[in-house]
Amino acid sequence: MASAIRIVNGKVYDPSNNIDGVVKDICILDGKIVDKVPADSTTLDARGMVVMPGGVDIHCHIAGHKVNLARKLMPEDHRRDVAPRDKARRSGTGGIVPSTFTTGYRYATLGYTTAMEAAVPPMGARHTLEEFHDTPVIDKGFYVLLANNVCLNQLLEQKRMEEFRQAVAWWLNASKAYAIKMVNPGGDEPWKGRKNSNVTNLDEKISGFELTPRQIIKALIDASNDLGLPHPAHIHCNNLGHSGNYLTTLDTMKTAEGRRVHITHIQFHSYGGERGKNPISKAPEIAAFINDNPNVSADVGQVMFGTAALMTGDAPLTWLLRNMTKSKWINADTECESGCGILPFSYQEHIYTHALQWAMGLELFLLSKDPWRMVLSTDHPNGGSFMNYPKLIKLLMDKAYRDETARAVNQKAIAKTTLLDIEREMTLQEIAIITRAGPAKLLGLKHKGHLGVGADADITIYDELDDREAMFNAARYVMKGGQLIIDNHEFSSDCEGRILHVSPEYDAGIEEKLRPFFEDYYSIQFDNYPVHPRYLHDDVRVPNLA
Amino acid sequence: MKLRLHTQPEVPLEAETISPDQLAGKSEAEASALPLYHGKEQVALGDFFTVTGPMRNGAVEVEGDLSRVKLLGHAMSSGRLHIRGNVGAHLGAEMSGGEIAVDGDAGDWLGREMSGGRITVKGNAGHMVGGAVRGSAVGIQGGEIIVHGNAGNEIGHGMRRGLIAIGGDAGDFAGVNMKAGTVIVLGHLGIRPGAGMKRGSIVSGRNTELLPTFSYDCVYQPTFLRYYLFYLRRLGLAVENDYLSGPYQRWSGDGLEMNRGEILLYAGPH
Amino acid sequence: MSEGLTTVKNAICTFCGCVCDDIELTADPQLGKITKAGNACQLGRAWFLEHRHEDRPTALIDGREATLEEAVDRAAQILVDARFPLIYGLSDTTCEAQREAVAIADYINGNLDTTSSVCHGPTGMAFQGVGESTASLGEIKNRADFVLYWGGNPMEAHPRHFTRYSVNPKGWHIPNGAEDRTLVLVDVRPTQSTHGADIFLKVNPGSDFELLWALRSLVKGRRVDASIETRTGVPLSTLTDLVERMKSCQFGVMFFGMGLTMTRGRHFNIGALLALVTDLNQYTHFVAMPARGHGNVTGADNVVAWQTGYPFGVNFNRGYPRFNPGEFTASDILARGDADALCVIASDPASNFSRKAIEHIRKIPLITLDPKPTVTTSLATVAFTTAPYGINAPGTVYRMDNVALNLRPAFESHFPGDEQVLRAIKNRVLELGGLSPGGAPH
Repeated sequence: MASAIRIVNGKVYDPSNNIDGVVKDICILDGKIVDKVPADSTTLDARGMVVMPGGVDIHCHIAGHKVNLARKLMPEDHRRDVAPRDKARRSGTGGIVPSTFTTGYRYATLGYTTAMEAAVPPMGARHTLEEFHDTPVIDKGFYVLLANNVCLNQLLEQKRMEEFRQAVAWWLNASKAYAIKMVNPGGDEPWKGRKNSNVTNLDEKISGFELTPRQIIKALIDASNDLGLPHPAHIHCNNLGHSGNYLTTLDTMKTAEGRRVHITHIQFHSYGGERGKNPISKAPEIAAFINDNPNVSADVGQVMFGTAALMTGDAPLTWLLRNMTKSKWINADTECESGCGILPFSYQEHIYTHALQWAMGLELFLLSKDPWRMVLSTDHPNGGSFMNYPKLIKLLMDKAYRDETARAVNQKAIAKTTLLDIEREMTLQEIAIITRAGPAKLLGLKHKGHLGVGADADITIYDELDDREAMFNAARYVMKGGQLIIDNHEFSSDCEGRILHVSPEYDAGIEEKLRPFFEDYYSIQFDNYPVHPRYLHDDVRVPNLA
Repeated sequence: MKLRLHTQPEVPLEAETISPDQLAGKSEAEASALPLYHGKEQVALGDFFTVTGPMRNGAVEVEGDLSRVKLLGHAMSSGRLHIRGNVGAHLGAEMSGGEIAVDGDAGDWLGREMSGGRITVKGNAGHMVGGAVRGSAVGIQGGEIIVHGNAGNEIGHGMRRGLIAIGGDAGDFAGVNMKAGTVIVLGHLGIRPGAGMKRGSIVSGRNTELLPTFSYDCVYQPTFLRYYLFYLRRLGLAVENDYLSGPYQRWSGDGLEMNRGEILLYAGPH
Repeated sequence: MSEGLTTVKNAICTFCGCVCDDIELTADPQLGKITKAGNACQLGRAWFLEHRHEDRPTALIDGREATLEEAVDRAAQILVDARFPLIYGLSDTTCEAQREAVAIADYINGNLDTTSSVCHGPTGMAFQGVGESTASLGEIKNRADFVLYWGGNPMEAHPRHFTRYSVNPKGWHIPNGAEDRTLVLVDVRPTQSTHGADIFLKVNPGSDFELLWALRSLVKGRRVDASIETRTGVPLSTLTDLVERMKSCQFGVMFFGMGLTMTRGRHFNIGALLALVTDLNQYTHFVAMPARGHGNVTGADNVVAWQTGYPFGVNFNRGYPRFNPGEFTASDILARGDADALCVIASDPASNFSRKAIEHIRKIPLITLDPKPTVTTSLATVAFTTAPYGINAPGTVYRMDNVALNLRPAFESHFPGDEQVLRAIKNRVLELGGLSPGGAPH
């Protein structure tokens, strides 16, 4: 199609540029947004429609070793949700963990054009990038797991801070990652080496090291800030899912001492109550802390009722739950780097804890004063599929619908939350913030999440409907880098999407310091470890913050 | 309504449209136009079958060597499907009601995941009779499957409810991982019956060695079994008199699960 | 090509599932020969040193030399014309080639299967039933103080498995290597591997499942009758001792081979072992791993799974992937005479499938891609000679523990790689079918 396009008559929501539902033209030339295009350019009439930047998912699990293990694990889930091949699309299967092609197309269907895989051990980077190559339409990157890295922990333990920082930079380059991810910092060593135990507080000594989780958290928060990474350290806190864990979460956020940090699927980390007993909601306390601390951002990790698949570097948690559900369970350890647990799961309205988690997620969204720092995620597929986003948006925008749903679930749980007292209904502009502008800003993606001149022409056009779920369920038009992917609800073309990664500078001398550790403790050769650039295909090296 | 196979398929023919639910109220022409899949090609029912209709009181007859034809009676909920000849895989899969009768042999996955109705096979059946698909823990959830001949491995895999009766011998892992329900095999059981079973009953007319996780309880004459066997006899299965009143060894298992399942082995004279 | 000898450090051996990546190759590109393969085991040395440029045409149609274009066109025509085309093999080629093969199967609504279905297919099925606790091989090297092999003979099938990953190497928590580990072998007969074992359980053929079930019972603290010895050949006292060792170790691992997957009980044997390992996690950290044979069979499982949702045995007749081992697996399809065209990549079914299956292979149009002549290539309607992966063809392979590696081929071949041939066939298939590949190179 023509590379110059003008979108006319659409109601534009572009929070980054303070455009809130104004009818204005959007001009596109060669994949970018420009201020004007020739008069004879193709026009796209968006009358009665809403124009937004393409959606940006800041935290999901869509590619790599653990995701593929989950795919292989659940054939019974795929067969009820098939995705036939058509003129523009490869075939595939859906369910809670869709095949790669289907994942890309379904994100596009919802109007999403960027998604970040949130947990990849460095050794799994090649596999993840291979799956990215087969995940169409969306741009994507991944966060690399560094909080249980034996080599880095040894450097920390020996207080070799400069080498630690160099090694972190090397690892980001070697794996072609986008950001630093921490999962249950320090928890892998007791899990693998101490008969499946775990760490429970930030100041407890990690078995095998003269080191505490807090030291790891602090060091990696500092490293990501000092290296000027576009996205700060992305933390899955300790004690996920345990009653009383909100204290650990507050403790973790305080450890940042005012520096930028992102706490992920914070709903799973906002529980009061006594460990081992039923949780209660401390969402208001967590929301209040984030309101008062502009250095902290979070995504919610909303739980949605129905099928889910727990898929996390936090293996001890899945083992705990596996012993309740007795369903098929996967554990997958990666040498010197990470653990991983996978468990098919379902959230049910009548179960106290599930209903509480559902309500708490909504509390976190609605009690947060700054939507730019409390953005949307279901931690797909942990809290439910990303295909639930439209329903979640309706819950946030429509109090009547929200309360009606809340009254149909476990009332003991709802009574333990403030949900029914909350009057707030989000506006389309606020939805545009938590699904696009906010995540893009938190990720430091200057060319995404907005429609200003110079931005990538990743654009979604929805029919404006009163039923917000129906509206966000099927974008009318989706443009990726100026290419029309969905044309009047039909997939008209396909594209591969690009790999987003960072490459902070480091002193090459660090490699010779790391080599001996690899020779002793890894099972692959140091020289075969870094990802070859050919795995990047079409990539974007996202610059550090100035 | 009568369907006669006039052309042998060269590759598997998927025919889930051949069921009373789908054919009800259709004229011969309409029925002949229904889609089937010959390998990757969509074809019309009439390309392979001569239809003489109409359908009366829900009865459909299919005639010919259908051993390459899959998914007949798929998900059927009512009516009668009579198959004169051998038939291929997935016959009556996911059916919820009605009746299927086969004069010849049936292929694998007979009555896979069915929830109601009855399937009777005069000849032999393949593997996974009333079973689950891979990855799923649940097989047949209700209804009856009666096979006069022999059946293959994994009959009643993941069974939750219903009755599976085999007049001849059954293969290995009969009733594996079953949760409830009844499996009766008048002939020999293969090895490892009831592996992983939680509840339910597996009965055999012949003695066999069980897994080390099954424990011997007693010899007795189970009354419920008498009723079941009379019922099967009424359905036309040849049940020896000895089995009706004879003594049975009772074993409990699987000890690795809840140990609430039972295996009954005929202990009388033959 | 370069002058004189070339050397390649950290080259990757694709002969078996160990995929050792520390091979030091010396090659003579002019002669198309590898003269040295440092660090390789005897199997790896044979794989590298016996490589010769085949004196065969790149393409044969009905046994007569043809141009690559003619052969690609004929192959595509066969696949498009067939009603039930079957694509099979794929475990001895790169992931890049495997991708193209799945794409072709998708575009022709065909049926795709890999050699997994005749080696560790039961492992995949068992995995789908009970899950699996597993680990990368370096974790075994660093932590495993209890190592068990069931139904496999690594010394002969994976010669460096002991020395590189599981027994001899020193690791972070295993300072003294083999001394710090208990090595247990379970097999129906003594083998080279059983000699070095601390404990060897000689199990009666066909009673692996009973033995595993008894072990699960003991791990759960239930009593097992002494008659277990007459059934399995292993005394109860040996079992109780083994269970104690397993429960009390720091980090245990069970490797298993085709002695378990391909004997009576198949996927249930594996399911029993995987369930035992899961049970043991109540007491300590325990993992399991199939000892995969082919160099990239693990890559085949991965590629097919991420593109379709299923690891092998995938049917596209209805325009989307369906999975059903026994129905859509190659050996069963061919034995039933269901397929009317066959494309085999890097495998030799005509010499190792059942008689009925082989009879059917002889009846239908056959396309083969293989670096070497085999029984199957000798029957081919269209035969492509391709460059062997790892030696000549670049690409990605997955080790038996799902770790991906980037190949370091020694020199180029004048034969195309499987990837190039399959991509050409795919593009011709798209032209013939009037299909668009969309905008993406999928």
